[in-house]
Amino acid sequence: MKSVDPREWSINQKLALVALSLGAFALLGSPTPGGAVTLNTQELAAIVESEVDHVTAEELAEWIAEGRSDYRLLDVRDADSYAEYHIPSAEPVTMRELNDYPLFRSEKIVLYSDGGIHSAQAWFLLRARGFAGSTILLGGLHAWMDDVLFPDLSADASLDQVASVERRRALSELFGGKPRSGSADAEPAKAKLPTVAPPAAVSVPKRRKRPHKEGC
Amino acid sequence: MSAPFYKYGLFGDEMSLILAAVIGIGFGFFLERAGFGSSKKLVAQFYFTDMAVFKVMFSAIVTAMLGLFYLSWAGLVDLSMVFVPPTYWLPQLVGGLVLGFGFIIGGYCPGTSLVGVATGRLDALAFCGGVFGGIFAYGEAYPAIASFVKSTPMDRITLDEWLGVSMGAIVFAVVLVAVLGFWGATTVERKLARREVEASV
Repeated sequence: MKSVDPREWSINQKLALVALSLGAFALLGSPTPGGAVTLNTQELAAIVESEVDHVTAEELAEWIAEGRSDYRLLDVRDADSYAEYHIPSAEPVTMRELNDYPLFRSEKIVLYSDGGIHSAQAWFLLRARGFAGSTILLGGLHAWMDDVLFPDLSADASLDQVASVERRRALSELFGGKPRSGSADAEPAKAKLPTVAPPAAVSVPKRRKRPHKEGC
Repeated sequence: MSAPFYKYGLFGDEMSLILAAVIGIGFGFFLERAGFGSSKKLVAQFYFTDMAVFKVMFSAIVTAMLGLFYLSWAGLVDLSMVFVPPTYWLPQLVGGLVLGFGFIIGGYCPGTSLVGVATGRLDALAFCGGVFGGIFAYGEAYPAIASFVKSTPMDRITLDEWLGVSMGAIVFAVVLVAVLGFWGATTVERKLARREVEASV
């Protein structure tokens, strides 16, 4: 039986009272998840300066080749450009659609456009809404073509670089590109982009899935 | 400064793994100190003779819930960035029942079996073998059951969203259920203890 005098209560009873009071007080408050965000421009500037907000084309190629599913790849160009060519597993989102596009603020998001201007602007829009996991594909689709699809694998690679050259050649072929060797035939393949459908060798995960790498 | 620290890039992958190890060891330590390295103690829960599992776990839930609620209210934690596993109600219901049966039969849950192994219990070691065997079998069978695992999706959903009430109301309800549960559990324990005494006389 509970004593009326709180001094005679056991520690468990006291803890229960504290929990009940905190629970009752919680009825008054409502933290709004995903609500108001304060934009810290100084913090944004620091992020831009430290260059932690982007991934390189080669990193992205490795992620796709590994079948990683803990990030979302968004193509922020217009629909026609997307139909013409896009990086395998990318989701088409125009700048206008970005505000209503179903994304979670806990997700890692990689944005790309042709160069880097649109993706940088999209990055700002997302950061302003608290999507702290948004990053930019450095150099955009141009870098993807130059570094992944049609990498310049010059013959004068040192022994150390041979392995990485082989890896890059493999990645290039995986995504339907063709490495350029040396300066002899510079810019030969630029004209013909691989078909929109990813090459059969790439096992591209369905991108609508949520990341499952977290949790217990 | 705001949490979750990892999501805000306060530290990288390596540091997050180190911290996970530290927190995991702490978790194991307190499970052991609560007596959960022993399958006898754990199984007593299901005979209502020792409600320690219920009390410890519910205390942890209430503590974490109140902490997260008030920290996010104070603007120190961004709950929208905290990972919430997506709900697939039917497969998760079935999985919960499978885990529950395993808990009753084997005397451990996955976490406590590791605690039992750490303190050298052979039954825990056997249980762990079963856990890893089960994980392996699940992985091998996954292509066949994938459509079931992904059925009845409800996406990322929490109780307050599902019931359409405020988060504070859920917090209050859970605390109320916990306190009533503690009171009920203690009453049941006393009753059963008395009956045992009477039976032995």
